[in-house]
Amino acid sequence: MEIQVLFFGVLAEVTKTAFKHYRGVTSFEELKMRVGDDFPEIAHYNFRIAVNNELVNGDPLLKDGDEVAYMPPFAGG
Amino acid sequence: MSHKILVNGPITQEIVSSIIAKLAEKKDAGGHSVFIGQVRADDFGARRVKAIEYSAYENMIEAEAGKIIKSLSEEFNDVKSIDILHSTGIVMAGEISLLVIVSAGHRHHAISACSKAVEMIKASLPVWKKEIYENNSAGWKENSLA
Repeated sequence: MEIQVLFFGVLAEVTKTAFKHYRGVTSFEELKMRVGDDFPEIAHYNFRIAVNNELVNGDPLLKDGDEVAYMPPFAGG
Repeated sequence: MSHKILVNGPITQEIVSSIIAKLAEKKDAGGHSVFIGQVRADDFGARRVKAIEYSAYENMIEAEAGKIIKSLSEEFNDVKSIDILHSTGIVMAGEISLLVIVSAGHRHHAISACSKAVEMIKASLPVWKKEIYENNSAGWKENSLA
C-alpha cells in the first residue's frame, strides 16, 4: 500500500517536514514503526493519529491511498 | 449554515461586519449569540506574546466543524444556524482568531449552544498554535480543557 503521512504542529517542526510518502506499507502497526524509525524524535511528544480525517484508536485496517495524520493536542480558539 | 471555516490571517472587522449584516436575512431567528476570540498578549516575564501562528489540518477541520454543528443543532432544536470562522497563519495580539455566531429562535438556545460550541471547538478542531514572543522566540501552546 501507499500511504501519505502528515505531521502537524510541533511534530511538523521536529520532523522538519509536513508529510512523507510511504510505499509498501503492510499494516498500520508496521507504518507506525517505520515512522518511528524515520523520526525517533516524535516519541518525546504526545500525539493522536487520524486516518482519513477520523481519529483512530487501536490498530485500524489501512487501504491503499489512505492519509495518516500525526497530530499533537489541539490548540484552537 | 456555513461550512467554510478557515480564514487566512486575522478575522477582520470587515469580515465580522459582513457576517453581522447577513444576520438580517435570518428572519426566523430572534437572537444571535456571538463569541469573538482574540489573541491575548500573555506576559511570561521576559516573553510577552506578540502574535500567534495558527496551523490547521484543513481536510479534517471542515468535517469536525460539521460534526459540531450537527450535534448542537440536534441538542438545541431552536437553533437556526451556526457559523464558525477560525484563523490560520499569523494573528497579532488584539486581533480576532475565532468567531462563532449561533442564531436561534430564542435567546436561551442561542447562548447555550454558542457557549458549548466554543468548548467543542477547543476540544476537537485540529488547530495548533505557536506563540511568538516580543523577543522573537516562539513556543507551542496546548489548550487547557479544564
